Amino acid sequence: MDIFIRSASQISFQQPLDMQWLTAPIFPSVAFNPPLEPDYKQFVSPVESRRMGHLLKRAVAVSLDALRKGDCSMPDAVISGTGLGCIENTEKFLNAVIDNEEECLPPTPFMQSTHNTVSSQIALKLQCHGYNSTYSHRGTSFDSALLDAVIQIQLGQIGSALVGGYDEMTPAYFRMLNKLGYWRTDEASDVDSLQKSGRVGSISGSSAVSLLLTSSPSSEKLCQLYGIEAFSCFEKNQLPAIYHDFLLKYGIVEADIDAVMCGFSGDDSNDEMYRYFVAECCPQSDVLWYKHLFGESFCASAFGVYAAACCLHQQKVPTHLYYMKERKRDKIRKILVFNCFQNIDGSLILLSL
Amino acid sequence: MREMLGIAPDFAITRTSLLGRIALREAVQMAVLTKIGNRRVAFVSGTTVGGMEKSEQFYRDFLENDKRNEYIALHDCGACTEMIAKDFPGRISFQTTISTACSSAANAAILGAGLLKTGRADIVIAGGTECLSKFHLDGFNTLMILDSQPCRPFDKNRQGLNLGEGAAYVVMEMADGAAARQAKPLCRLSGYANRCDAFHQTASSPEGEGAYLAMMAALQDAGLQPVDIDYVNAHGTGTPNNDESEGHAMMRVFGNRMPWVSSTKGFTGHTTSAAGGVENVISILALTRGFVPANLNFSEKIDSLDFTPTTEVKTHVNLNHILTNSFGFGGNDSSCIFSKIS
Repeated sequence: MDIFIRSASQISFQQPLDMQWLTAPIFPSVAFNPPLEPDYKQFVSPVESRRMGHLLKRAVAVSLDALRKGDCSMPDAVISGTGLGCIENTEKFLNAVIDNEEECLPPTPFMQSTHNTVSSQIALKLQCHGYNSTYSHRGTSFDSALLDAVIQIQLGQIGSALVGGYDEMTPAYFRMLNKLGYWRTDEASDVDSLQKSGRVGSISGSSAVSLLLTSSPSSEKLCQLYGIEAFSCFEKNQLPAIYHDFLLKYGIVEADIDAVMCGFSGDDSNDEMYRYFVAECCPQSDVLWYKHLFGESFCASAFGVYAAACCLHQQKVPTHLYYMKERKRDKIRKILVFNCFQNIDGSLILLSL
Repeated sequence: MREMLGIAPDFAITRTSLLGRIALREAVQMAVLTKIGNRRVAFVSGTTVGGMEKSEQFYRDFLENDKRNEYIALHDCGACTEMIAKDFPGRISFQTTISTACSSAANAAILGAGLLKTGRADIVIAGGTECLSKFHLDGFNTLMILDSQPCRPFDKNRQGLNLGEGAAYVVMEMADGAAARQAKPLCRLSGYANRCDAFHQTASSPEGEGAYLAMMAALQDAGLQPVDIDYVNAHGTGTPNNDESEGHAMMRVFGNRMPWVSSTKGFTGHTTSAAGGVENVISILALTRGFVPANLNFSEKIDSLDFTPTTEVKTHVNLNHILTNSFGFGGNDSSCIFSKIS
């Protein structure tokens, strides 16, 4: 069964709800990068807005925007990925529990702290009673959500789904992860230094990406979702076999893949797997990246799929997406998105014109 | 638990992961997953609390010093699943974490069925794990849905839920896959559905729309009529809102032919993200051993409902189909139907 990405929307530190990042990208210069917030008035009332945390507002905005762009009023399913859930509310409630010694606590931050708040708020806003789920699995949270949507479509349970990746980075969580060596210093957060090997850390971003998946073709669509495979607990040298099984399963050969979209982040322990994959599996493909434009977050892979879909739709890959030197191509037919988290969980997502 | 698992006292691991590892070991042993050759095993685990029980103890350390840094990376839900999966005696070919609050483990089984039916895994281990934390105990308390007495599901004077903790996994495979490795299945997952109430972030609609839709879609998925269901293992938390809403949804589904109904949370407490797993296991035990578990602490019927739960355990009964409900915050309502293998 054919599955299409009909429309998409994003909020990040690029211009929100827009594809301006293709022609007028904003390059980071520091490690902590809050997103550019759109005007939420078009999506939520001021009363709703006051009650919602930042992540919820962003999630509702990109979901409604994706539906509008895809000319769809009601999806059959809402499936989200989020590594940390509404961490802003979680921290608010956690601080209250510690500071107030468990007395006189405010209920709202707790109510909006669970990871599934995002999917349920989208459903509530749309009055969507269909399939509704949330994946919270580190760097493959979004990939798991996308896989679930594909499975439900293949089983005939649903015909369309809003699939999203949502994470917010708070100053406190940023500080905690900084202790684990997650982030660059501000001085080393520019694109040139992110591209140099042998360095530690990356730049952070907040993610809100929504894709509208449908099984029915329409004249307006971004691309086809040609294949998806998710895998875990693999050794580096098993990667070529996983890749070749993937090609075989979807009946394609290496030469069909024009470009591979990788999650290079600037952190050497992260980037090594991508370098190996490119060298061993697809030396003929162009190599693209996206985390220099959208930052690192548990749901960053959603931007990889989003960016690849936009490039296929526009039939143009802007120079600033090339990680390595570009080759001349008349047409871009297929882009493979490879995501790998801490060499434990990975996914291959193939998008086609 | 560390002792049971042979884990050193200073090894960094969260309570949620310890609970999960114990349940995983039991499931692996019972399903004899130690000799499975190159079969692809997927692990789908539900949790919401994740590492919060450690984070709430060490949060000030996380921010102010370097004493407990090893627990920072164990905070999130996925880290918890990863830590459990490391104990599996073989390769996990795919692992993921579902977090739909109190229906997480039921949705894990639903994804598991999808992975098997689409040929993405040969064996799936699906369920959930959750430990107690101050965070969600206090959270439920702010919503005034905790009962200081033992919980009284479906009782007129019920005051709320009792929090519990636990972990449970079921091992799932397609019939031919099980036959090929001479595994004896306990029962069939004959139908399931996931629907959304889309009513309120933490409250259920009075008519139980999401619950009704989930039960009806699960019946349709199984190709069964309401009259075919012998027993409903209800979500039945004991909160005023859930039990009335779920009760109305069951009346809409079953009319005046209500099957045996009980909530087993009087025995286990509400194990939140693990609840769907724990209750799937209880339902499978009931089906295979022919008993209906009792609904504890019931004395008086809810005014607006036409039925009472089963208050005494019924033994030596023949059950063919059991429906089990798992509902969560956010209106995440799921139902699974387990059927006897004919």
